[in-house]
Formats: sequence, C-alpha cells, structure tokens
Amino acid sequence: MSSLATSRNSEGQAGPLPGLSRHKLSHQGTPNPIRQRSRGSRDTINGWAFATPFLAFFLVFLVWPLLYGLYMSLTGKSLTGANDSIIGFANYAEALADADMWHSMGNTLYFTVISTVPLVIVALVMAALVNAGLPAQWLWRLSYFAPYLLASTVVSLFFTWMYNPQLGLINDSLARIGLPKVAWLNDPGVAMWAIVIATLWWTVGFNFLLYLAAMQNIPVQHYEAASLDGAGAWRQFFSITLPQLAPTTVMIVLLQILASLKIFDQVYQMTAGGPGGSTRPVVQYIFETGFTGYRLGYSAAISYIFFGLIVAVSVIQFLITRRRSA
Amino acid sequence: MATQTLTRPVSSSLDSAPPRKSGARMTPGRVAVLAAAALLAVLWLVPFAWATATAFKSETDAAAPKISWIPSSGFTADAFIKVFQDGNIPLWTWNSLYTSAAITVITLAISALVAYALSRIDFRGKKVLMTVIIASIIIPPPVLIIPLFYQMVALHMIDTSWAIILPQVIHPAMVFVLKKFFDQIPRELEEAAVMDGASRMRIFLQVILPLSRPILAAVAIFVFIGAWNNFLWPFIATNDGSVLTLPVGLQTIKSAYGIQYAQNMASALLAALPLILLFLFFQRQIIKGVATTGLAGT
Amino acid sequence: MKQFDFFEGRQLSRRGLLSGTAALGSVFAAAALSGCGGNASAAAPRDIQFWHLLSGGDGIKMQDMIGKVNDANPGFRVHPTVLAWGPPYYTKLAMASAGGRPPELAIMHASRVPGYAPGGLIDPWDLGLLAEHGVTAESFAPRIWDKSQHSGQVFSLALDSHPFVMFYNRDVAEKAGLLAGNGQLQEAGSPQEFLSIAREMQKVTQTHGLSFGYLGSGSQMWRLFYTLYRQHGADMELTPGKPMVADNEAAVESLEFMASLFDDTIAAQSGDISTGIAEFARGGSGMLFSGVWELPTFKKANLPVDAATIPTLYGTPAAYADSHSFVLPRQLNVDDAKRRDVYKFVSDILKGSLSWAEAGHIPAYQPVVQSQAYRDLTPQIHYANAADIIAYDPEAWFSGSGSDWQTYFADTVQNVLLGRDKAADGWDAFVRRTNTLLSRPNPV
Repeated sequence: MSSLATSRNSEGQAGPLPGLSRHKLSHQGTPNPIRQRSRGSRDTINGWAFATPFLAFFLVFLVWPLLYGLYMSLTGKSLTGANDSIIGFANYAEALADADMWHSMGNTLYFTVISTVPLVIVALVMAALVNAGLPAQWLWRLSYFAPYLLASTVVSLFFTWMYNPQLGLINDSLARIGLPKVAWLNDPGVAMWAIVIATLWWTVGFNFLLYLAAMQNIPVQHYEAASLDGAGAWRQFFSITLPQLAPTTVMIVLLQILASLKIFDQVYQMTAGGPGGSTRPVVQYIFETGFTGYRLGYSAAISYIFFGLIVAVSVIQFLITRRRSA
Repeated sequence: MATQTLTRPVSSSLDSAPPRKSGARMTPGRVAVLAAAALLAVLWLVPFAWATATAFKSETDAAAPKISWIPSSGFTADAFIKVFQDGNIPLWTWNSLYTSAAITVITLAISALVAYALSRIDFRGKKVLMTVIIASIIIPPPVLIIPLFYQMVALHMIDTSWAIILPQVIHPAMVFVLKKFFDQIPRELEEAAVMDGASRMRIFLQVILPLSRPILAAVAIFVFIGAWNNFLWPFIATNDGSVLTLPVGLQTIKSAYGIQYAQNMASALLAALPLILLFLFFQRQIIKGVATTGLAGT
Repeated sequence: MKQFDFFEGRQLSRRGLLSGTAALGSVFAAAALSGCGGNASAAAPRDIQFWHLLSGGDGIKMQDMIGKVNDANPGFRVHPTVLAWGPPYYTKLAMASAGGRPPELAIMHASRVPGYAPGGLIDPWDLGLLAEHGVTAESFAPRIWDKSQHSGQVFSLALDSHPFVMFYNRDVAEKAGLLAGNGQLQEAGSPQEFLSIAREMQKVTQTHGLSFGYLGSGSQMWRLFYTLYRQHGADMELTPGKPMVADNEAAVESLEFMASLFDDTIAAQSGDISTGIAEFARGGSGMLFSGVWELPTFKKANLPVDAATIPTLYGTPAAYADSHSFVLPRQLNVDDAKRRDVYKFVSDILKGSLSWAEAGHIPAYQPVVQSQAYRDLTPQIHYANAADIIAYDPEAWFSGSGSDWQTYFADTVQNVLLGRDKAADGWDAFVRRTNTLLSRPNPV
C-alpha cells in the first residue's frame, strides 16, 4: 500500500528540527548529546500529549469494545443479563454449524458478487460519457452523484414505493409496455436484485467520481498520439483509457467488495431480510440474534467470524495493491 | 504509473471540464454520447421526481389504482403540512444537525492533533501507534455494535446524544489522510516559528492548521455526511423519540403512518433536503472532499 | 489554495481558538440538555413515557383515549411513542428495558409476555394497588386473566382481546340468499359448507366470494391457520430442549383447506393484506378473514358490514386472538409517584375502553363489555363471544404476535398457499425450523 511507503519516508525526515540544530551548533559547535536526549524525551512527551485525546476515545470506544466483544463471544450472555458464565468456544462451534448463519453469509456474498459488477461498469460508463467533454458538467455530476448524499432510509422509502406491486411506478411502466408485473420485494428470486438496483442507484456516484478523476488524469498526449496513428474513439477507449484505469478499477472493486460485505441498512429497511430470509445479510443476522433473539454472546461470536472474513479480504486487498505499486 | 495516478491530488482533475478533444463539432458520435448521458441522467433523476410527484398529491390520488404523474385532483402540499404537524421531522433534523456537528468538530480536533504528532514529532512508540491506527481501519462497525451497546447500557448512556456522538468520532482513516497532508507541508514554513522557540502546539495552531484548510474542509465534509446519514449505530443506541436522528426517526415513520404514501414521500423528501441543498451550494467542495478522503478507504 | 471559500479569512488565532471552544461548548451544552430527560418542576405534571405499536385507525383511537385521560388527570401527562409493529417493536422494547431507561408503561401482546417475564424485563402488577383503582380479577374474562399470569404473579393487564374473525357483506349475503332468520349469515358447520357459501357469494359479486390477502405476512397466515387448527381440538406444545408436540394431521388438513381457497373463484390466488381488505371494502367479495381492528375501515366506507367468529368447521369452537396488554418495563430506579400515576392511567383507560370497542376490539374490562352501551354496538356484539373461545398462541420465548416465529411460518407456508408446495412438506419444514429453535438454549 502506498500509504505505508509514505510513512516510512516521513519518519526519515522527522528528526530534530533543522532550525534547532543550527541554533545549537551556532552556540556550541558540536551537538550536545544530553541536550538531544532531553529533546528526545520532550518530543516523546509532546508526541503522546498530542495523541492523547484521540487515544482516549480510541481506547474507550474501539479497543475496549473490540476486546470485550471477544470476551462476550466466549460467554452465553443474554440481553436480559443472564447466563454470564464463560462457555469457551461453544458459540463458535454452534455458529459454524448454524444453517441460518451460512445462509446469511451466502446472501451477503451473493449480494457482493451481483452488485459489484454493475457498480463498477455503470460508473465506468458514466465517467466515460462525462469525460468525453459534454456541456453542463454540473448537471451530470448532480444527477449521478446526488443520491450518494441520501440517508439509507430515504433511499429505502423511495424504492419501496416504486417497487409497490400494485401502485408502484416500476410495475406500472412494465405493464404499459406489455411486460408482466413483478413482486419485487416479495419474490425470493427477485428481492435481492431489487436491492441491488436500489444500491446501484444510491452509491454508483462515488465510483463515478473516482473514475472521472482518474480519467481526467490521463495525459492528453496519449490520445493525440493515438489519433495521429489513426485510432478511432472506441479503439482509444479500449487501448488507452481502460488500461490506464486498471489501478483505479482494482481499487474501486476492492473498496466495493468491502463495502458490500457490510451491507445492512437498505436490506433491513426494504425487506427486513425476507422474503423467507432470502435477502438477510450476515450483519442483520448478527443484529437479530443479539437483539431480537436476546443472545448477545452468540451474536458476538458470529460477528467475530464475520470480522475474520473482512480481515481476510482486506489482507488480500493489501497484497494486491502493494504488488501493484511496487 | 500506478502511484502517479493515485497520489496526484484529486482536486485538480475534478476542477473543470476536461480539455475538448480535437474536433469539437457535434458529430454523430458526440450526439450519441450526449444522448446516452442524458438517458442515464433521466433514469437517475426518476426516483426523486416520482417521490416529489407523489408527495404533492392527496392521499387518495397517491393510492389511486391508475398511476399517473399528474394527480386528478391537482397538486397539494397537504402531505407536507401533515408531516410537519404530526411528525417529528424538525426535531430529528435538529438532532442530526447538532450530533453531526459535534462529531465533525471532535473528530477534526482529535484527528488533527494525533496526525500532526505522527507527521512531525519523533517520539518513542510512534511506529506502534501508527500501525495500530492503520490496522484499526479494517474493523467493521458490526463487530463493535454488540459490545458498544452493552457498554452504553453499563454507562447508562443509552438514549442520550452522547451515545450517538462518542463512538463516532473515531476515524482512523481520516487520521491517516491528515497525516499524509501534513507530511507534504514544507518544513521551512515552520522554521521561523521554531527558531523563535515556539511550542509544538503553537506551531500546530498557527502554522500547520491555517495551511491545512482544504484538507480540514474535505475531512469535515466527509465526516459530517457520514455522521448525518449513519443508521446502524444510532438505531441501536437510541429508542426514545426525542433524541432520534433523521435516518432513524424516518424508519419509525414507515410503519406508524400505515399506508399513507404521500406523507411517506413527503417525509423522505424533507429528510433528503438538508444535504441536497448543501450539495447544490457547495457542489465542488463536496465532490472534492468526498473523492479525496474516500480514497483512503471508507 | 482557493477552492474552499467557506474557510477563507478564518484565522486560527487565539481568539479563534477561544470562540471555537465557545462554539464547541455550546454544542456540548445543547447535547447535554437534550440528553437530560424533561426536568419536571414541582408544579408541572409528571411526564410518563408510554410505548405502543398501535397505528392507523387504532393509533388515532388510542391517541384520543390518552388525551381524555390526560385531561382528567392534571397531575401527570402521558406521552405516547408509536413504534413499528412486529419484531422491531419487541426488539426495541427489550433493548430499552435492558438499557435501563425504558418507558414507564408499554403495551405488549399477551402472547409475548411468557417470553419476557422470566427474564425480569418487566415488573409484576401490584394487585392491591390495582384494587384501589377498581381493577380486580373479576374485571376480566377467565381465559384472559389466566393469560396475564406467570409464576403466580400478574405481569400484564389486558386492554382488549382482538380476535381474527369473518367479516361479511350483508347485501351480498342477502342477494345470495344466505341470510338466516336473525338477519345474520348462515353458519357453515363444515369445510364443504363454507366453500359452497363462498361460491354462492362469488356468483353475486362476479369477482370472488372471499377476500384474504396473505403475501409476505406470516402473522396473517398464522392467524387463520391457528384458528382452523385449534378448531380440530388440537393443541401445540413448545418446550425448550424437546421437539415440538403438535397434531400433524390437523395441521396438514388445515393447510390443505387454506390452499384450496385460493383458486381465483373463491378467493384471489395471491395478494397482500391491503389488497384483500381493499377488495372487500369495495364490494368485490362477500367475506373477509381479518382481524377485528379493520372494522373502522369498513364503517368509514359505509359498507353494509357484519361480522361473526370464524365458523366452526371442525367441531371445536376456537378463535385466534391476542390481547394488547399493559406491562411495566423494569426500571433501574422506580419513581414511585410515576408508578402510581401509571396505575391510575391504566385503570382510567380500562374504564373508558368503550371507545376502544368502536375500533373493533373486544374490551377486556368486564364492566364495559356487560354494559348496555357495548351491547348496542353492531357488529361488535356479534363476535363478542370470541372472548370465551380465545386461542392464544402456544407459549415459548420465541412465539407470539410480531415474533420471528410467525415470520418463519411465512417462510415455509407461503409456498403451500401459492400452490407451489405440498401442505405436508410445508408443515414439516416449519416443524423442523421450530425444533431448531427449541434445541437452542433459552436465552431469557
């Protein structure tokens, strides 16, 4: 990851400030080791002082819950406060044998796969169109990106209404062109796709922006050289634009995968995991087991299994991007 | 090539339209592109348009079996009036506003402080701290909701604004974004202050921060939008009506009103309004802010 | 860099830092003030938080009733919060009770109380204090009073029982020649009779004889199913650690009967609850299976509507019903004054529950039910006998109205009703699902 590379560079520069050593040199000729050591320990105090506010919140609201959650997953703790004793890995064993858990994991993966593809391709198409030099740039940016600023509840309200089997716009439009109506949110075979469509509308704007920025960074000379060679617009797109966008694409895909694995909001709001549990993602299963089913300990175990999955994907992401930027 | 694309500031490339390629006439190709873009734009605006059309109908018209854009009894603002009178949208909007503002301010403050230390101060344990912060970027919220809920219960903070605000000020990715920016500020600019014997804090406040306005704005925008639209944690941390934020409050409307489509859409539009308005006025800044910070990982 | 205009000109000087801190401070102050509950001074009425899940027509009625009691009791003021019906409501209530800051009063379905009471999330009612307000065991019908108890203590006080009944259109019934001597619909005594009644009605309406929308609603399917099942005289036992005990034959027969209804003549093949209601309300069918709470809808539509308990098709009269019951969520620190207010509020509501009857429900408070005013209400009086034949849900920590268990019922049974699965298969799947739940440790 380029980020770690940067930090290594900056560490080399973060030593005693050049100005100060000049100051010391002018006074004494040679740097005083005692002075430098006290400077170092003052730096240490300063450094940690600056870090303390952040660390306070970090330790209390992130590290502690993370560790306590792990502890909870080893108990049978209930929402009512009962069953507080340690039961070892029983929760994990039960989770791995839990058909519902695997089902929800499968739903999440299914959603990730079928949503990532359109979320990348449609964004690419949008960026390509806008990048071709259209008038009224603000209009395109507004139309494609504005949905990204909406809360999930708003998106769910909009789409639940449009998906209404009798009164919804979508079924009505389908009927007008002679196609059969679809029970968007009530048909197990279709519900996930309905959610994918809503998610696409909601979040494609973000990928669109990233692609647009990357495209506008491609030096014009490449295209000029290509047209001199006689290459048309399509050829240029496939031979120049797409390859130049490869690193952006990789990054977008990985970001998208990570975001899709965490999905909860719009599914919970539009189908509550139904029909028949066909859309229930793993995050919702965690929520249900813990808060609706009262089993906080068990729910914590599932969340740690989920965490393991996220870590695995993130590690893969790290390895891929590191190899690319090496 | 790869690093070049990623580290050049995104802001400059999104500033204006790309240079026109050679041959700026409206060729058939160009017309096709315009048509395709327009089609997509129309598709993307339909949900808003349909919600607006519904919100301005009477309930009878909204639930009429024959669906049309123009209602038979004309447009009316009844739904909006009812929503304002009966509902809690103004209260929830206010709750969202001050919690998001508090989250943004606190996040900026604590993140900038630690980012500065990581960028400029050589202190013992710095590498460890840096690694820990970066590693924590991976942690997904769902892993924390169960123990955090329990923690809030133990601290008797459920149903308070603090429960919403405090866990959300931790943005390790933003620390990293700020640090990267600070790294790029030339050291010479601090030297005058350093030679005066200024304290670290003075340098931070009087030299670094003023130079960092763009990135601070970008981070602020990103954090504010994220806090405003956050659903999962506020949903879990609050039950009582008076502290609900907009997304969570809106969720309760869905079922409480039963089948009142026009009012549902009116509520949704009112909830969408603040950020959309903000976007209309600050389009450029918001886009740059989101794109710049978003690269560091959501 | 000039792009970010709104920060322009702002110097982060010491003055800026001070004013920034002041701004921060005021933000915190606002947050703190909002975080605190209402600070009631000595003269102001005490604020009582009351959660319920009654929306639509029910919600408006309840709002009226609360308003009347508030007006009559200047010492306190009850603030209702309406939450979504279903698993979300119970989840939120449990979380609030666990979180230590729940409302002072809440409504729960009586069928859910067994899942709550053992865990200590609700407090028992003090019978002595209730008696002071005129509420005793005699105030309730026997089955309802039985249901309100757990381990010898009273945990819930029923406001009503709301059974699942059969509404019918008097005009359609008359035209089909199906009215009995007393002006009410002939009672079917067997499944065959019922089907032929429905077919006769369909000839009149030219659309369907019966409306029943169930798509996506496990509760709706369960209510009809459980009525038919209990009419077989069958019972159901859910004991954690043991497999479910049920009369499989009765269950499958009930499901097969239900599936036979949706042949597009007797009833539409599929539709959701609101579609079914809308069809009946505009005269597109002669009968509707629905909860009593839909009555106001039909009265408002000026439909010539009457009602009765679902005819006894299998020998034993039974009516699925649940009760909206008042419970006391467990408080960290019980405010005695507010507790007493709650007792006063609840007893006042019970005494004024005649208006609740107008919403279709059968009041649980016997003095109201036995009053002449209630007897004058039609069609309510025609199904008031449901209170004597109530079939509450089988007791378990996961069962009851608005539970995930009823959602699981939809998962396995919807396809049976749609004609895609065999009844025996759907029932087996449901039993298996239930057994999985029963094998898990009881978390309460």
